[in-house]
Amino acid sequence: MSRLWSLLFLTVPIVGVWVCIWSANNGYWMPDDISSHGHTIDHLFNFCLWLTGVVFVITELVLVWFMWKYDAKAHAEPVKYTHGSHNLEIVWTIIPSATLLFIAIYQMNAWANVKMRVPTDPDVEVEVVARQFEWRIRYPGKDGVFNTRDDLHTVNDLHVPVGEQVMVRLKSQDVLHDFFLPHLRIKQDAVPGMVIPVWFKAERVSNVTGATSAAYDLVCAELCGWGHYKMKGQLVVETRDEYERFLADLEKQQEATQ
Amino acid sequence: MMGLSPEKSTNRAAGESLRGWAAALCLLAALGCTKADPAQFKLNMEGLDPADFVASGSTDEALAERIAKIEQEPDPDEEQLSELQNAQSANARAKGLRDLKVALHALFGTPDEPFVLKELQTQPDTPEVGFDLAKLRRAAGPVSSLEDGTQIGLYRQHCVHCHGITGDGVGPTAAFLTPYPRDFRRGIFKFTSTSESAKPTKDDLKRTLKQGIAGTAMPSFALLPEADIDALVEYVKYLALRGEMETALMSYVDAGDPVPLTHEELLSELQNYASMWDSAADEVITPEAPPELDEPGLLASIEAGRKLFLDAKAQCVQCHGPTGLGDGAEKRFDVWNEAKTDTNLAFFSLPKQQLQPRNLRSGVYRGGRRPVDLYRRIQAGIKGAQMPSMGQTPAKPSGLTPTEIWNLVHYVQSLPYEPTSETGSPERSIQRDRN
Amino acid sequence: MSTIAAGSHAHEAADAHGHGDSLSFVRKYVFSLDHKVIGIQFLFSTLLWFIVGGLLALAVRWQLAWPWQEMPIVGRMLFSGEGGQISPEFYTMLFTMHASVMIFFVIIPILAGAFGNFLIPLMIGADDMAFPTLNMLSYWFMWPAFACMIASFFYGGGPASGWTAYPPLASVASAAPGSEQAQTLWLWGLVFVGISSMMGSVNYMTTIIQMRAPGMTMFRLPMTIWGMFITALLQAFALPVLTAALFMQILDRMAGFSFFIPEGLIVNNASAGSGGGQPLMWQHLFWFYSHPAVYIMILPAMGMVSDIISTFARKPLFGYKPMIYSIAGIAGLGFIVWGHHMFMSGMNPALGLTFMLSTMMIALPSAIKTFNWLGTIWGGRIEYTSAMLFALSFVSMFIIGGLSGIFMAATPVDIFIHDTYFIVGHIHYVLFGGTAFGVFGAIYYWFPKMFGRLMNEPLGKIHFFLSFIFFNGTFFTMHILGANGFPRRLADPYHYDTFEHLLGMNQFMTVCALGMGAAQIIFAFNFFYSLFFGPTCGRNPWNSNTLEWLAPSPPGHGNFDVQPIVYRGPYEYGSPASDSINFPQWVPPKEGIDEEELGHH
Repeated sequence: MSRLWSLLFLTVPIVGVWVCIWSANNGYWMPDDISSHGHTIDHLFNFCLWLTGVVFVITELVLVWFMWKYDAKAHAEPVKYTHGSHNLEIVWTIIPSATLLFIAIYQMNAWANVKMRVPTDPDVEVEVVARQFEWRIRYPGKDGVFNTRDDLHTVNDLHVPVGEQVMVRLKSQDVLHDFFLPHLRIKQDAVPGMVIPVWFKAERVSNVTGATSAAYDLVCAELCGWGHYKMKGQLVVETRDEYERFLADLEKQQEATQ
Repeated sequence: MMGLSPEKSTNRAAGESLRGWAAALCLLAALGCTKADPAQFKLNMEGLDPADFVASGSTDEALAERIAKIEQEPDPDEEQLSELQNAQSANARAKGLRDLKVALHALFGTPDEPFVLKELQTQPDTPEVGFDLAKLRRAAGPVSSLEDGTQIGLYRQHCVHCHGITGDGVGPTAAFLTPYPRDFRRGIFKFTSTSESAKPTKDDLKRTLKQGIAGTAMPSFALLPEADIDALVEYVKYLALRGEMETALMSYVDAGDPVPLTHEELLSELQNYASMWDSAADEVITPEAPPELDEPGLLASIEAGRKLFLDAKAQCVQCHGPTGLGDGAEKRFDVWNEAKTDTNLAFFSLPKQQLQPRNLRSGVYRGGRRPVDLYRRIQAGIKGAQMPSMGQTPAKPSGLTPTEIWNLVHYVQSLPYEPTSETGSPERSIQRDRN
Repeated sequence: MSTIAAGSHAHEAADAHGHGDSLSFVRKYVFSLDHKVIGIQFLFSTLLWFIVGGLLALAVRWQLAWPWQEMPIVGRMLFSGEGGQISPEFYTMLFTMHASVMIFFVIIPILAGAFGNFLIPLMIGADDMAFPTLNMLSYWFMWPAFACMIASFFYGGGPASGWTAYPPLASVASAAPGSEQAQTLWLWGLVFVGISSMMGSVNYMTTIIQMRAPGMTMFRLPMTIWGMFITALLQAFALPVLTAALFMQILDRMAGFSFFIPEGLIVNNASAGSGGGQPLMWQHLFWFYSHPAVYIMILPAMGMVSDIISTFARKPLFGYKPMIYSIAGIAGLGFIVWGHHMFMSGMNPALGLTFMLSTMMIALPSAIKTFNWLGTIWGGRIEYTSAMLFALSFVSMFIIGGLSGIFMAATPVDIFIHDTYFIVGHIHYVLFGGTAFGVFGAIYYWFPKMFGRLMNEPLGKIHFFLSFIFFNGTFFTMHILGANGFPRRLADPYHYDTFEHLLGMNQFMTVCALGMGAAQIIFAFNFFYSLFFGPTCGRNPWNSNTLEWLAPSPPGHGNFDVQPIVYRGPYEYGSPASDSINFPQWVPPKEGIDEEELGHH
């Protein structure tokens, strides 16, 4: 009877795998990715998932199998009196080491692309300053230089043209914040006292054909105080024309004298 | 415990105390699982000693009898007489407060079920005037959502923890903020498009909600659906009107007069305030357009503005300082904090907070950075905040002319970009970012 | 010297030394130098704080399941003006204090303070710790820490900068509610915990090295002791860095220093000070301790689980020396992986590559240990006691927790899952499913030795069953949430379109969490009931091998009747040289049988 405990442990691999499959098929999975590098990250996530999934299922099943088979009440044979196996130790040291080393080295290029290889000539530059509890966004304006009178200011509303390399100069005015774009697989802490470059390219406006603009969440992902949850911004990906129109609109509003 | 072995008696004692603890815990859990009372508006007792409003314990008739008796005496005891008279006033004030609550409840309802008199509700042909009850109902009450995703309880979801359930600016978070959140109850709002003594328009309130107030804890709610913002604007107006009405009725209580309780009396009192809100749209300041200026013209305007800034006529430097850093003032307080004195500070919820005149070199403009916004700040001042109205009006013909104000606007706009306004290396600069 | 009720062990110990019953409570308990009394003091304190930490977690789960609805008990007490809904800064306090309490007042003290203290002298055959007075002081120093933490709830509403206390949020008074005196008190509380831990660590290392019984070589020590020993080493090397960092932040907050505050900050319209500091430096110092800390929080449990599994599988531990080397490897590697908490922090991105390598490699020793546990039950005759069930569930849950760590070690993947619920799921699988379940197992296993009574087995199994189910229900779907990008520490995540649809899943998790909390009531009842009314037991109710089972249950002052002598390793179950299912370490060898040869399989 007590071997039935192993059935409780059996629920772990079964339910675990089922939950993952069900979630992926019912919309409880990674948000749509519209960035140029996002598919690499998603691929690596899935790679880790499959690898760990296989190891998970095998080891849990081995555990369950042993729990079932070697229950004292059902198993009358004397125990296998052994202190271990040198060969086994070697095998299950070398194989995991090699695997882990491989996983690490396999991913280095992806990391370098997203965080280390700063593009020298982006199409769009925009400054995003995080403060408690909003995103203050500034475009350089017609002269292309920040900190001049023609800069265009907006709050929580970041517009970028589709298909162009965007460079965000990320800063913070007060405490740590984090610039998180779930749909572009971008995440970077904003540190006061530093200007951190964050670059991305939105490959398409959205998965809806013919859409000329679409809005995505910009989330703060580093605890910044009581209003951390309130720092909701939006990223609007749009066609070049719409983007120009947005900037022109901003300029008009900013210079309103009536 | 004779006859029991030591460990048995320990066990029994332990068992008893264990049972006691278990019972206490069950009781606590049961208590905690009962529902809290629904939220109530708080009385505006800012600066007032609640002890002054406690009834004396004797009825009015009994007091009147005793006073009459003493007055009949040949040598009336003045001390006793004044004591009894004080008791009478205390009774009157306590009654006044009760009547006040009844009146406010009748006029405005509760935080879960708001209400305005029929006469104050919007009519279909004048949507800009009056209150839309449907919008109020959306903004009020506990947070929930309908089947179609419409959010209810917007005020409590977004605003209550700073602005408080009564709109008194004393929510749980308020104590930690500089500046404090707005107390709506005076009906005074700082950043409006209207003239000095006028209320804000609905558009003004909408702008504040949508763009937030830069440099403060008031965030931008631009990403909320338009309908949600409209509902919140309605509710803010409602809380403001309710607060003003409460102050008006309170003056009756203070004076010892009976609080009006009939529909007609209350309505006429209310109309005084509601009409100011309704007429706000007529008081919008629309400046004359500034002349089109080329580069040298703009520089000349800036120079003229600079001279005017330093001139005593414009009164700028006494608060903003000669360099515009906001370091020119003696201690000043806004109208919400002015009322706090050493004697009555204990009866206010929040400590006294000093006003900070704006540092004009930072490029952060709380009321908006557009030229028209800056114009309006100078023309009409900032209500409640010691920024005086400097512009010309029919009542004040000696004020600044539109040209002068535009010159000042150009000067102020240029300040953040002067070389002296740079701090440190651009790569490491933090707050002087013109953002 | 067999025993009866709890509390009375000190009586009879007192009798043994001729003190008589005349010692007051204070002399007997507060000033006790006996490692067993101190261990039990730690045990009771940590179990009480477990309740506090658990309630804080339930409050967090409530807000996530029913955002801005009236919160039970708390809503009525503190927020009645707003109709019972909590305020956002209250929520930040909830998760800050949940983590702080669980890490510093529950997991670390229960492993090292409670079990370390109780078991080390007993398992190595010593009569007490090397420094009994220092031991007493190490418990005493927890009380100022308790006082500071409790006080911090009442000054400014509680610390609200996360248990990680990143500056400038945690360093600048105007940045957050609770970033006033509450945060300073929190820092002082941790300083005291650090002092207590350092005292314990010195004591444990010295005791284990110097006071082993004759015949107890280092490679005959049970895994529990190896776990405690290596943990003590970790504490000794890592704690000073944390303490230094804590003092630096205290100086920032109290004395106008700016170690972590850059220049020119204006927070909440108040100047943050002269500046010149670096926020990232705190992160480096903090994580240099806190990463080894997570190993401090699991290695003792791994050791205890090894002992329990071997005992109830009735066969030797598979790969004893590899297990030791793995623990040492985890500890050593643990010092060069701290940067994996900082991949997105703004530190030099090249470090992302180096830390990814070292972090991937640290999965190796954990994998080796898991395989060895499986090898231990292979070919055994498993007795399914409550202790064994919890120990086996440690293995099962640790597999999940360890494997999910691979995702985070993969730096590009971490870009997406950093600061999401994927991390929270991982944390709880290793710390709750791993360590806490291991601790439950250890309590069921060593309760008879501590108190001379057995805990009720059927209740223990019910406790296990419910905890197992509800634990997985609460925490497995956190990995799914993380895959959705669902961020941590948000009081209301649902006003983002991306996360709106996850409310249902969160409600399911909260219901499971409430169930899990309720299941612990069974454990608490079992614990206290058995303390007074449980059936008494002899010295070795589980037929184990290790030295503590030679002493009486509970042991008196001095632990053993006579100095034990050790003849073999701790895992000689099923040995052909023994007549019974076990072969304790203290039983002299039989004539003519060469155990060494028999053991070489």
